[in-house]
Amino acid sequence: MSKLMQKLSENILDKFSMDFLRNQVLKNAYGNDDTVIAGLDPRILLAWYLFFGLIPWFVNDIPFLLGCFLLVMVTTILARVAGLVLFLFALGVFAQTGYLFLVTLFFGGDASAIAPLLILTLKVATISLASITVFSGLDPDKLSNGLMWYGCPERLSFSISYAYRMLPMLMEEFQNVLLSYRLRGNPPAHDTFPGKVRYLIYQVKIIMQSFYPLMLNTAKRSRTTVEALELRGYRYAAVNKAVKKIRLSALRVSYNDWLFLAISGLVVAVSVLLSTLI
Amino acid sequence: MSSMQKQSATQSQKLMIFVLSMSLYGLATLFTELIPSFQVGIVEFSVEYFLFIPLTLSMLFDPLSAALGAATGELVFSEIMLGQFGGLGELEKFLTVTIGVYIAGRLVRDPKNRAMVGVAAFVGTAAQLLMGTVVDILKVQLAVEDFEAVAGLPESVFATEGFAFLNDLLFSGILFALLPTLYLVPKLYGKIEPLIGMAPRTRDSAVSGISPKAILVCVIGFVCAIVAELLATAGTALIDWEAEWAESGTAMAIGIVVAAIVVIAVLLVMRRAGEKKAAVN
Repeated sequence: MSKLMQKLSENILDKFSMDFLRNQVLKNAYGNDDTVIAGLDPRILLAWYLFFGLIPWFVNDIPFLLGCFLLVMVTTILARVAGLVLFLFALGVFAQTGYLFLVTLFFGGDASAIAPLLILTLKVATISLASITVFSGLDPDKLSNGLMWYGCPERLSFSISYAYRMLPMLMEEFQNVLLSYRLRGNPPAHDTFPGKVRYLIYQVKIIMQSFYPLMLNTAKRSRTTVEALELRGYRYAAVNKAVKKIRLSALRVSYNDWLFLAISGLVVAVSVLLSTLI
Repeated sequence: MSSMQKQSATQSQKLMIFVLSMSLYGLATLFTELIPSFQVGIVEFSVEYFLFIPLTLSMLFDPLSAALGAATGELVFSEIMLGQFGGLGELEKFLTVTIGVYIAGRLVRDPKNRAMVGVAAFVGTAAQLLMGTVVDILKVQLAVEDFEAVAGLPESVFATEGFAFLNDLLFSGILFALLPTLYLVPKLYGKIEPLIGMAPRTRDSAVSGISPKAILVCVIGFVCAIVAELLATAGTALIDWEAEWAESGTAMAIGIVVAAIVVIAVLLVMRRAGEKKAAVN
Protein backbone atom coordinates (compact mmCIF):
# COMPACT_ATOMS: atom_id res chain seq x y z
CA MET A 1 0.00 0.00 0.00
CA SER A 2 2.68 2.45 1.02
CA LYS A 3 4.68 1.48 -2.02
CA LEU A 4 1.68 2.15 -4.22
CA MET A 5 1.17 5.52 -2.60
CA GLN A 6 4.80 6.38 -3.12
CA LYS A 7 4.60 5.40 -6.75
CA LEU A 8 1.43 7.43 -7.19
CA SER A 9 2.88 10.54 -5.61
CA GLU A 10 6.04 10.20 -7.68
CA ASN A 11 3.90 9.90 -10.78
CA ILE A 12 1.94 13.02 -9.93
CA LEU A 13 5.11 14.92 -9.11
CA ASP A 14 6.49 13.90 -12.48
CA LYS A 15 3.43 15.26 -14.20
CA PHE A 16 3.66 18.52 -12.35
CA SER A 17 7.28 19.27 -13.07
CA MET A 18 8.24 22.80 -13.94
CA ASP A 19 8.78 21.92 -17.59
CA PHE A 20 5.34 20.39 -17.87
CA LEU A 21 3.74 23.51 -16.47
CA ARG A 22 5.74 25.73 -18.76
CA ASN A 23 4.86 23.68 -21.80
CA GLN A 24 1.18 23.69 -20.97
CA VAL A 25 1.07 27.43 -20.44
CA LEU A 26 2.99 28.10 -23.63
CA LYS A 27 0.84 25.70 -25.56
CA ASN A 28 -2.21 27.46 -24.26
CA ALA A 29 -0.87 30.83 -25.28
CA TYR A 30 0.68 30.15 -28.66
CA GLY A 31 -0.16 26.57 -29.57
CA ASN A 32 -3.54 27.08 -31.20
CA ASP A 33 -3.33 29.83 -33.75
CA ASP A 34 -5.05 27.82 -36.45
CA THR A 35 -8.38 27.10 -34.78
CA VAL A 36 -11.72 28.53 -35.84
CA ILE A 37 -11.90 30.61 -32.68
CA ALA A 38 -8.41 32.05 -33.10
CA GLY A 39 -9.33 33.24 -36.58
CA LEU A 40 -12.20 35.40 -35.35
CA ASP A 41 -12.03 39.10 -34.73
CA PRO A 42 -11.16 39.86 -31.09
CA ARG A 43 -13.75 42.63 -30.84
CA ILE A 44 -16.56 40.31 -31.87
CA LEU A 45 -15.34 37.62 -29.49
CA LEU A 46 -15.16 40.06 -26.59
CA ALA A 47 -18.69 41.26 -27.25
CA TRP A 48 -19.77 37.61 -27.41
CA TYR A 49 -18.02 36.99 -24.11
CA LEU A 50 -19.75 39.97 -22.53
CA PHE A 51 -23.08 38.26 -23.24
CA PHE A 52 -22.13 34.75 -22.11
CA GLY A 53 -20.04 35.96 -19.19
CA LEU A 54 -22.75 38.16 -17.75
CA ILE A 55 -26.28 37.10 -18.73
CA PRO A 56 -26.15 33.57 -17.21
CA TRP A 57 -25.64 35.10 -13.75
CA PHE A 58 -29.02 36.77 -13.97
CA VAL A 59 -31.13 33.98 -15.46
CA ASN A 60 -32.42 30.99 -13.53
CA ASP A 61 -34.13 29.22 -16.39
CA ILE A 62 -32.72 25.68 -16.78
CA PRO A 63 -33.30 25.18 -20.56
CA PHE A 64 -31.72 28.55 -21.27
CA LEU A 65 -28.71 27.80 -19.08
CA LEU A 66 -28.33 24.35 -20.62
CA GLY A 67 -28.45 25.81 -24.12
CA CYS A 68 -25.77 28.36 -23.26
CA PHE A 69 -23.68 25.68 -21.58
CA LEU A 70 -23.81 23.40 -24.63
CA LEU A 71 -22.86 26.28 -26.90
CA VAL A 72 -19.83 27.32 -24.87
CA MET A 73 -18.82 23.68 -24.56
CA VAL A 74 -18.72 23.41 -28.35
CA THR A 75 -16.73 26.62 -28.66
CA THR A 76 -14.26 25.38 -26.04
CA ILE A 77 -13.74 22.20 -28.05
CA LEU A 78 -13.28 24.33 -31.19
CA ALA A 79 -10.66 26.44 -29.42
CA ARG A 80 -8.60 23.32 -28.57
CA VAL A 81 -7.71 24.43 -25.08
CA ALA A 82 -4.77 22.81 -23.28
CA GLY A 83 -5.63 19.89 -21.02
CA LEU A 84 -4.31 21.45 -17.87
CA VAL A 85 -6.65 24.42 -18.21
CA LEU A 86 -9.66 22.15 -18.55
CA PHE A 87 -8.53 20.17 -15.52
CA LEU A 88 -8.29 23.37 -13.51
CA PHE A 89 -11.74 24.35 -14.73
CA ALA A 90 -13.26 21.07 -13.53
CA LEU A 91 -11.48 21.40 -10.20
CA GLY A 92 -12.67 24.98 -9.83
CA VAL A 93 -16.30 24.16 -10.53
CA PHE A 94 -16.28 21.33 -8.05
CA ALA A 95 -14.51 23.39 -5.41
CA GLN A 96 -17.05 26.15 -5.78
CA THR A 97 -20.26 24.16 -5.64
CA GLY A 98 -19.53 20.55 -4.71
CA TYR A 99 -17.87 21.56 -1.49
CA LEU A 100 -20.77 23.86 -0.66
CA PHE A 101 -23.19 20.98 -1.23
CA LEU A 102 -21.30 18.69 1.15
CA VAL A 103 -21.31 21.33 3.86
CA THR A 104 -25.01 21.99 3.26
CA LEU A 105 -25.67 18.32 3.88
CA PHE A 106 -23.58 18.53 7.01
CA PHE A 107 -25.73 21.37 8.35
CA GLY A 108 -28.93 19.36 7.99
CA GLY A 109 -29.84 20.33 4.46
CA ASP A 110 -31.32 17.56 2.31
CA ALA A 111 -31.67 16.76 -1.36
CA SER A 112 -33.74 19.93 -1.89
CA ALA A 113 -30.46 21.79 -1.96
CA ILE A 114 -29.49 20.06 -5.21
CA ALA A 115 -31.67 22.07 -7.60
CA PRO A 116 -30.42 25.56 -6.71
CA LEU A 117 -26.88 24.26 -6.54
CA LEU A 118 -27.27 22.63 -9.95
CA ILE A 119 -28.33 25.99 -11.36
CA LEU A 120 -25.37 27.62 -9.66
CA THR A 121 -23.02 24.98 -11.11
CA LEU A 122 -24.44 25.50 -14.60
CA LYS A 123 -23.97 29.24 -14.29
CA VAL A 124 -20.40 28.95 -13.05
CA ALA A 125 -19.51 26.37 -15.69
CA THR A 126 -21.00 28.40 -18.54
CA ILE A 127 -19.23 31.57 -17.52
CA SER A 128 -15.87 29.91 -17.02
CA LEU A 129 -16.05 28.02 -20.30
CA ALA A 130 -16.93 31.22 -22.12
CA SER A 131 -13.90 32.90 -20.64
CA ILE A 132 -11.68 29.90 -21.44
CA THR A 133 -12.85 30.08 -25.05
CA VAL A 134 -12.09 33.76 -25.41
CA PHE A 135 -8.95 34.15 -23.35
CA SER A 136 -7.20 30.90 -24.22
CA GLY A 137 -8.51 30.68 -27.75
CA LEU A 138 -7.16 34.03 -28.85
CA ASP A 139 -3.50 34.69 -29.12
CA PRO A 140 -2.24 37.42 -26.77
CA ASP A 141 -1.52 40.13 -29.31
CA LYS A 142 -4.99 39.88 -30.80
CA LEU A 143 -6.54 39.84 -27.36
CA SER A 144 -4.71 42.96 -26.23
CA ASN A 145 -5.60 44.75 -29.48
CA GLY A 146 -9.24 43.87 -28.95
CA LEU A 147 -9.19 45.13 -25.39
CA MET A 148 -7.51 48.32 -26.54
CA TRP A 149 -10.19 48.92 -29.15
CA TYR A 150 -12.78 48.85 -26.39
CA GLY A 151 -10.85 51.55 -24.57
CA CYS A 152 -9.20 49.43 -21.88
CA PRO A 153 -6.24 51.18 -20.32
CA GLU A 154 -3.04 50.87 -22.31
CA ARG A 155 -1.38 49.46 -19.18
CA LEU A 156 -3.56 46.36 -19.37
CA SER A 157 -2.82 45.50 -22.98
CA PHE A 158 0.85 46.22 -22.36
CA SER A 159 0.74 43.87 -19.37
CA ILE A 160 -0.83 41.10 -21.41
CA SER A 161 1.74 41.29 -24.18
CA TYR A 162 4.58 41.61 -21.69
CA ALA A 163 3.35 38.70 -19.59
CA TYR A 164 3.17 36.29 -22.48
CA ARG A 165 6.61 37.23 -23.74
CA MET A 166 8.34 37.25 -20.37
CA LEU A 167 6.73 34.35 -18.65
CA PRO A 168 8.90 31.56 -20.11
CA MET A 169 12.02 33.48 -19.14
CA LEU A 170 10.78 34.21 -15.65
CA MET A 171 9.84 30.59 -15.09
CA GLU A 172 13.23 29.41 -16.24
CA GLU A 173 14.99 31.88 -14.02
CA PHE A 174 12.92 30.88 -11.02
CA GLN A 175 13.73 27.26 -11.71
CA ASN A 176 17.44 28.00 -11.96
CA VAL A 177 17.48 29.91 -8.69
CA LEU A 178 15.52 27.17 -6.99
CA LEU A 179 17.85 24.47 -8.30
CA SER A 180 20.95 26.33 -7.19
CA TYR A 181 19.48 26.67 -3.71
CA ARG A 182 18.77 22.96 -3.69
CA LEU A 183 22.31 22.19 -4.80
CA ARG A 184 23.81 24.16 -1.97
CA GLY A 185 21.33 23.07 0.65
CA ASN A 186 21.22 19.96 2.77
CA PRO A 187 17.66 18.66 2.94
CA PRO A 188 16.61 16.88 6.15
CA ALA A 189 16.01 13.13 5.98
CA HIS A 190 12.39 12.39 5.18
CA ASP A 191 11.76 8.75 6.05
CA THR A 192 9.70 9.29 9.18
CA PHE A 193 6.65 11.49 9.60
CA PRO A 194 8.37 14.31 11.57
CA GLY A 195 11.12 14.16 8.98
CA LYS A 196 8.56 14.60 6.23
CA VAL A 197 7.11 17.65 7.97
CA ARG A 198 10.61 19.08 8.36
CA TYR A 199 11.26 18.34 4.68
CA LEU A 200 8.10 20.18 3.66
CA ILE A 201 9.04 23.18 5.80
CA TYR A 202 12.50 23.09 4.25
CA GLN A 203 11.04 23.12 0.74
CA VAL A 204 8.71 26.02 1.49
CA LYS A 205 11.57 27.92 3.07
CA ILE A 206 13.71 27.45 -0.01
CA ILE A 207 10.95 28.74 -2.24
CA MET A 208 10.58 31.82 -0.05
CA GLN A 209 14.31 32.43 0.04
CA SER A 210 14.70 32.05 -3.70
CA PHE A 211 12.49 35.07 -4.15
CA TYR A 212 15.29 37.22 -2.76
CA PRO A 213 17.64 36.85 -5.75
CA LEU A 214 14.67 36.67 -8.06
CA MET A 215 13.42 40.03 -6.86
CA LEU A 216 16.81 41.64 -7.40
CA ASN A 217 17.14 40.16 -10.88
CA THR A 218 13.63 41.14 -11.88
CA ALA A 219 14.20 44.66 -10.61
CA LYS A 220 17.19 44.96 -12.90
CA ARG A 221 15.24 43.51 -15.79
CA SER A 222 12.24 45.75 -15.32
CA ARG A 223 14.50 48.78 -15.28
CA THR A 224 15.96 47.67 -18.61
CA THR A 225 12.51 47.07 -20.03
CA VAL A 226 11.15 50.43 -18.97
CA GLU A 227 14.21 52.30 -20.18
CA ALA A 228 13.94 50.58 -23.55
CA LEU A 229 10.27 51.54 -23.68
CA GLU A 230 11.04 55.13 -22.75
CA LEU A 231 13.65 55.38 -25.49
CA ARG A 232 10.93 54.64 -28.00
CA GLY A 233 8.57 57.14 -26.45
CA TYR A 234 6.23 54.55 -24.98
CA ARG A 235 4.48 56.83 -22.50
CA TYR A 236 3.64 59.38 -25.18
CA ALA A 237 2.62 56.76 -27.70
CA ALA A 238 0.31 55.13 -25.15
CA VAL A 239 -1.95 58.17 -24.98
CA ASN A 240 -1.61 59.28 -28.59
CA LYS A 241 -4.72 58.72 -30.73
CA ALA A 242 -2.85 58.46 -34.03
CA VAL A 243 -0.61 55.69 -32.71
CA LYS A 244 -3.61 53.79 -31.45
CA LYS A 245 -5.25 54.06 -34.85
CA ILE A 246 -2.20 52.62 -36.58
CA ARG A 247 -2.01 49.76 -34.13
CA LEU A 248 -5.64 48.84 -34.52
CA SER A 249 -5.86 49.18 -38.28
CA ALA A 250 -5.12 45.47 -38.71
CA LEU A 251 -8.44 44.44 -37.18
CA ARG A 252 -11.01 43.26 -39.71
CA VAL A 253 -14.50 41.86 -39.23
CA SER A 254 -15.20 39.12 -41.75
CA TYR A 255 -18.25 37.05 -42.68
CA ASN A 256 -17.01 34.33 -40.37
CA ASP A 257 -17.40 36.66 -37.41
CA TRP A 258 -20.99 37.51 -38.25
CA LEU A 259 -21.68 33.84 -38.88
CA PHE A 260 -20.32 33.00 -35.46
CA LEU A 261 -22.54 35.63 -33.84
CA ALA A 262 -25.58 34.48 -35.80
CA ILE A 263 -25.11 30.83 -34.85
CA SER A 264 -24.72 31.78 -31.19
CA GLY A 265 -27.86 33.87 -31.48
CA LEU A 266 -29.69 30.93 -33.02
CA VAL A 267 -28.72 28.59 -30.16
CA VAL A 268 -29.79 31.13 -27.57
CA ALA A 269 -33.09 31.77 -29.35
CA VAL A 270 -33.80 28.04 -29.62
CA SER A 271 -33.15 27.57 -25.91
CA VAL A 272 -35.45 30.50 -25.09
CA LEU A 273 -38.07 28.94 -27.36
CA LEU A 274 -37.72 25.60 -25.59
CA SER A 275 -38.08 27.23 -22.20
CA THR A 276 -41.30 28.98 -23.31
CA LEU A 277 -42.70 25.73 -24.68
CA ILE A 278 -42.04 23.74 -21.52
CA MET B 1 -1.28 62.53 -3.47
CA SER B 2 -0.70 65.73 -1.59
CA SER B 3 2.94 65.20 -0.62
CA MET B 4 4.66 64.39 -3.86
CA GLN B 5 7.41 66.97 -3.62
CA LYS B 6 10.47 65.17 -2.46
CA GLN B 7 11.95 61.75 -3.02
CA SER B 8 8.85 60.26 -4.53
CA ALA B 9 9.32 58.18 -7.65
CA THR B 10 9.28 59.64 -11.13
CA GLN B 11 6.79 58.39 -13.70
CA SER B 12 9.21 55.95 -15.30
CA GLN B 13 10.30 54.60 -11.91
CA LYS B 14 6.65 54.04 -11.10
CA LEU B 15 6.34 52.07 -14.31
CA MET B 16 9.40 50.03 -13.30
CA ILE B 17 7.83 49.25 -9.94
CA PHE B 18 4.61 48.34 -11.68
CA VAL B 19 6.38 45.95 -14.05
CA LEU B 20 8.46 44.42 -11.25
CA SER B 21 5.51 43.78 -9.00
CA MET B 22 3.39 42.53 -11.88
CA SER B 23 5.85 39.96 -13.14
CA LEU B 24 6.82 38.59 -9.74
CA TYR B 25 3.35 38.35 -8.27
CA GLY B 26 1.96 37.13 -11.57
CA LEU B 27 4.49 34.31 -11.67
CA ALA B 28 3.71 33.35 -8.08
CA THR B 29 -0.07 33.35 -8.55
CA LEU B 30 0.38 31.30 -11.68
CA PHE B 31 2.02 28.61 -9.57
CA THR B 32 -0.69 28.73 -6.94
CA GLU B 33 -3.28 28.40 -9.66
CA LEU B 34 -1.50 25.39 -11.14
CA ILE B 35 -0.67 23.52 -7.96
CA PRO B 36 -3.87 22.08 -6.55
CA SER B 37 -4.39 22.60 -2.85
CA PHE B 38 -5.04 19.60 -0.65
CA GLN B 39 -7.27 19.34 2.34
CA VAL B 40 -6.78 17.53 5.60
CA GLY B 41 -10.16 17.32 7.24
CA ILE B 42 -11.62 20.77 6.75
CA VAL B 43 -8.32 22.57 7.13
CA GLU B 44 -7.05 23.55 3.76
CA PHE B 45 -3.31 23.44 3.18
CA SER B 46 -2.37 25.31 0.11
CA VAL B 47 0.70 27.05 -1.16
CA GLU B 48 -1.61 29.96 -1.63
CA TYR B 49 -0.68 33.40 -0.63
CA PHE B 50 2.38 34.73 -2.21
CA LEU B 51 1.06 38.07 -1.05
CA PHE B 52 4.40 38.66 0.64
CA ILE B 53 5.83 39.73 -2.72
CA PRO B 54 3.67 42.80 -3.31
CA LEU B 55 3.69 43.51 0.45
CA THR B 56 7.47 43.64 0.45
CA LEU B 57 7.59 45.77 -2.66
CA SER B 58 4.94 48.18 -1.43
CA MET B 59 6.91 48.74 1.76
CA LEU B 60 10.11 49.44 -0.11
CA PHE B 61 8.74 51.47 -3.02
CA ASP B 62 5.76 53.54 -4.04
CA PRO B 63 2.78 51.63 -2.57
CA LEU B 64 0.23 52.48 -5.22
CA SER B 65 2.31 51.31 -8.18
CA ALA B 66 3.27 48.10 -6.39
CA ALA B 67 -0.36 47.42 -5.45
CA LEU B 68 -1.73 48.09 -8.92
CA GLY B 69 1.06 46.03 -10.47
CA ALA B 70 0.33 43.07 -8.23
CA ALA B 71 -3.38 43.15 -8.95
CA THR B 72 -2.75 43.46 -12.70
CA GLY B 73 -0.21 40.65 -12.57
CA GLU B 74 -2.67 38.33 -10.91
CA LEU B 75 -5.35 39.27 -13.42
CA VAL B 76 -3.16 38.79 -16.46
CA PHE B 77 -0.95 35.84 -15.54
CA SER B 78 -3.28 33.60 -13.60
CA GLU B 79 -6.70 34.61 -14.88
CA ILE B 80 -6.40 35.68 -18.49
CA MET B 81 -3.47 33.48 -19.49
CA LEU B 82 -5.08 30.37 -18.07
CA GLY B 83 -8.53 31.32 -19.27
CA GLN B 84 -9.88 31.54 -15.74
CA PHE B 85 -11.24 35.02 -16.17
CA GLY B 86 -14.46 35.27 -14.19
CA GLY B 87 -15.92 38.63 -15.18
CA LEU B 88 -17.33 40.64 -12.31
CA GLY B 89 -15.64 38.54 -9.65
CA GLU B 90 -12.22 39.55 -10.94
CA LEU B 91 -13.00 43.22 -10.45
CA GLU B 92 -13.59 42.53 -6.79
CA LYS B 93 -10.35 40.56 -6.46
CA PHE B 94 -8.45 43.27 -8.28
CA LEU B 95 -9.74 45.95 -5.93
CA THR B 96 -9.27 44.00 -2.71
CA VAL B 97 -5.68 43.05 -3.52
CA THR B 98 -4.92 46.63 -4.49
CA ILE B 99 -6.43 48.06 -1.31
CA GLY B 100 -4.84 45.48 1.00
CA VAL B 101 -1.34 45.97 -0.41
CA TYR B 102 -1.76 49.73 -0.57
CA ILE B 103 -2.80 49.95 3.08
CA ALA B 104 0.17 47.84 4.13
CA GLY B 105 2.57 49.97 2.10
CA ARG B 106 1.23 53.23 3.50
CA LEU B 107 1.34 51.98 7.09
CA VAL B 108 5.10 51.49 7.07
CA ARG B 109 6.95 54.67 7.91
CA ASP B 110 10.39 53.18 8.19
CA PRO B 111 11.19 49.86 6.48
CA LYS B 112 13.94 49.21 9.04
CA ASN B 113 11.44 49.05 11.88
CA ARG B 114 10.62 45.33 12.03
CA ALA B 115 7.62 45.60 14.31
CA MET B 116 6.02 48.12 12.01
CA VAL B 117 6.66 45.91 8.98
CA GLY B 118 5.10 42.90 10.72
CA VAL B 119 2.00 44.80 11.82
CA ALA B 120 1.57 46.31 8.37
CA ALA B 121 1.91 42.94 6.64
CA PHE B 122 -0.67 41.40 8.95
CA VAL B 123 -3.12 44.29 8.63
CA GLY B 124 -2.82 44.34 4.85
CA THR B 125 -3.45 40.60 4.59
CA ALA B 126 -6.37 40.74 7.01
CA ALA B 127 -7.95 43.65 5.14
CA GLN B 128 -7.68 41.85 1.84
CA LEU B 129 -9.08 38.60 3.21
CA LEU B 130 -11.92 40.28 5.07
CA MET B 131 -13.11 42.20 2.03
CA GLY B 132 -12.91 39.02 -0.03
CA THR B 133 -15.00 37.15 2.54
CA VAL B 134 -17.72 39.80 2.67
CA VAL B 135 -18.00 39.90 -1.10
CA ASP B 136 -18.00 36.09 -1.33
CA ILE B 137 -20.92 35.76 1.07
CA LEU B 138 -22.86 38.40 -0.83
CA LYS B 139 -22.14 36.67 -4.11
CA VAL B 140 -23.57 33.32 -3.07
CA GLN B 141 -26.56 35.02 -1.47
CA LEU B 142 -27.38 36.82 -4.68
CA ALA B 143 -26.70 34.00 -7.10
CA VAL B 144 -28.84 31.34 -5.43
CA GLU B 145 -32.54 32.02 -5.76
CA ASP B 146 -34.55 31.74 -2.52
CA PHE B 147 -31.38 31.76 -0.54
CA GLU B 148 -33.13 31.65 2.82
CA ALA B 149 -35.52 28.92 1.72
CA VAL B 150 -32.92 26.24 1.10
CA ALA B 151 -32.47 24.33 4.33
CA GLY B 152 -29.04 24.64 5.88
CA LEU B 153 -27.56 26.76 3.10
CA PRO B 154 -27.29 30.16 4.87
CA GLU B 155 -25.54 28.74 7.91
CA SER B 156 -23.25 26.66 5.76
CA VAL B 157 -22.21 29.64 3.67
CA PHE B 158 -21.46 31.74 6.73
CA ALA B 159 -19.63 28.86 8.36
CA THR B 160 -17.50 27.93 5.36
CA GLU B 161 -16.65 31.51 4.53
CA GLY B 162 -15.93 32.46 8.12
CA PHE B 163 -13.83 29.39 8.63
CA ALA B 164 -11.96 29.96 5.39
CA PHE B 165 -11.23 33.50 6.49
CA LEU B 166 -9.78 32.45 9.85
CA ASN B 167 -7.89 29.57 8.29
CA ASP B 168 -6.39 31.78 5.62
CA LEU B 169 -5.50 34.51 8.05
CA LEU B 170 -3.91 32.34 10.71
CA PHE B 171 -2.31 29.73 8.50
CA SER B 172 -1.45 31.34 5.18
CA GLY B 173 -1.43 34.85 6.59
CA ILE B 174 1.26 34.18 9.15
CA LEU B 175 3.27 31.53 7.35
CA PHE B 176 3.17 32.89 3.83
CA ALA B 177 2.66 36.61 4.29
CA LEU B 178 4.08 37.68 7.63
CA LEU B 179 7.27 35.65 8.00
CA PRO B 180 8.61 36.05 4.44
CA THR B 181 7.91 39.78 4.56
CA LEU B 182 9.82 40.06 7.81
CA TYR B 183 12.67 38.15 6.21
CA LEU B 184 12.73 39.98 2.90
CA VAL B 185 12.12 43.63 3.76
CA PRO B 186 15.24 44.21 5.90
CA LYS B 187 17.32 42.08 3.57
CA LEU B 188 16.28 43.91 0.42
CA TYR B 189 16.29 47.36 1.99
CA GLY B 190 19.05 49.46 0.48
CA LYS B 191 19.95 46.79 -2.06
CA ILE B 192 17.03 46.74 -4.44
CA GLU B 193 16.44 50.50 -4.65
CA PRO B 194 19.69 51.34 -6.49
CA LEU B 195 18.77 48.77 -9.14
CA ILE B 196 15.72 50.86 -9.98
CA GLY B 197 17.74 54.02 -9.61
CA MET B 198 16.21 55.57 -6.54
CA ALA B 199 17.13 56.32 -2.95
CA PRO B 200 15.94 53.98 -0.17
CA ARG B 201 12.78 54.98 1.60
CA THR B 202 13.36 56.70 4.92
CA ARG B 203 11.28 57.95 7.80
CA ASP B 204 10.65 61.32 6.22
CA SER B 205 10.32 60.40 2.55
CA ALA B 206 7.05 61.29 0.96
CA VAL B 207 5.11 58.07 0.54
CA SER B 208 4.93 56.92 4.18
CA GLY B 209 2.07 57.25 6.58
CA ILE B 210 -1.68 56.87 6.39
CA SER B 211 -3.33 60.13 5.45
CA PRO B 212 -7.08 60.82 5.44
CA LYS B 213 -6.86 61.00 1.68
CA ALA B 214 -5.44 57.48 1.47
CA ILE B 215 -8.22 56.15 3.68
CA LEU B 216 -10.76 57.89 1.49
CA VAL B 217 -9.30 56.28 -1.63
CA CYS B 218 -9.49 52.84 0.00
CA VAL B 219 -13.09 53.36 1.06
CA ILE B 220 -14.04 54.46 -2.44
CA GLY B 221 -12.34 51.36 -3.83
CA PHE B 222 -14.24 49.07 -1.50
CA VAL B 223 -17.48 50.83 -2.39
CA CYS B 224 -16.69 50.09 -6.04
CA ALA B 225 -16.33 46.41 -5.17
CA ILE B 226 -19.71 46.55 -3.42
CA VAL B 227 -21.23 48.36 -6.41
CA ALA B 228 -20.19 45.42 -8.58
CA GLU B 229 -22.33 43.35 -6.24
CA LEU B 230 -25.22 45.83 -6.35
CA LEU B 231 -25.12 45.41 -10.10
CA ALA B 232 -25.80 41.76 -9.47
CA THR B 233 -28.76 42.71 -7.26
CA ALA B 234 -30.14 44.72 -10.13
CA GLY B 235 -30.01 41.41 -11.95
CA THR B 236 -32.87 40.07 -9.82
CA ALA B 237 -35.14 42.60 -11.49
CA LEU B 238 -33.89 41.27 -14.80
CA ILE B 239 -34.93 37.74 -13.82
CA ASP B 240 -38.51 38.82 -13.22
CA TRP B 241 -38.56 40.63 -16.51
CA GLU B 242 -37.21 37.59 -18.27
CA ALA B 243 -39.83 35.27 -16.80
CA GLU B 244 -42.67 37.62 -17.70
CA TRP B 245 -41.42 37.90 -21.22
CA ALA B 246 -40.97 34.17 -21.51
CA GLU B 247 -44.63 33.44 -20.80
CA SER B 248 -46.02 35.44 -23.67
CA GLY B 249 -43.03 35.25 -25.95
CA THR B 250 -43.27 31.92 -27.74
CA ALA B 251 -44.15 33.66 -30.99
CA MET B 252 -41.36 36.14 -30.45
CA ALA B 253 -38.85 33.37 -29.75
CA ILE B 254 -39.92 31.59 -32.95
CA GLY B 255 -39.45 34.88 -34.77
CA ILE B 256 -35.92 35.23 -33.41
CA VAL B 257 -35.07 31.65 -34.36
CA VAL B 258 -36.31 32.18 -37.92
CA ALA B 259 -34.48 35.49 -38.18
CA ALA B 260 -31.23 33.87 -36.97
CA ILE B 261 -31.58 31.06 -39.53
CA VAL B 262 -32.20 33.57 -42.32
CA VAL B 263 -29.19 35.62 -41.23
CA ILE B 264 -26.98 32.52 -41.23
CA ALA B 265 -28.17 31.52 -44.71
CA VAL B 266 -27.59 35.03 -46.08
CA LEU B 267 -24.13 35.16 -44.51
CA LEU B 268 -23.18 31.80 -45.97
CA VAL B 269 -24.26 32.92 -49.45
CA MET B 270 -22.42 36.21 -49.06
CA ARG B 271 -19.28 34.48 -47.91
CA ARG B 272 -19.33 32.15 -50.89
CA ALA B 273 -19.85 35.13 -53.21
CA GLY B 274 -16.95 36.92 -51.53
CA GLU B 275 -14.69 33.88 -51.94
CA LYS B 276 -15.58 33.64 -55.64
CA LYS B 277 -14.78 37.29 -56.08
CA ALA B 278 -11.45 36.82 -54.33
CA ALA B 279 -10.71 33.82 -56.56
CA VAL B 280 -11.46 35.85 -59.70
CA ASN B 281 -9.26 38.66 -58.53
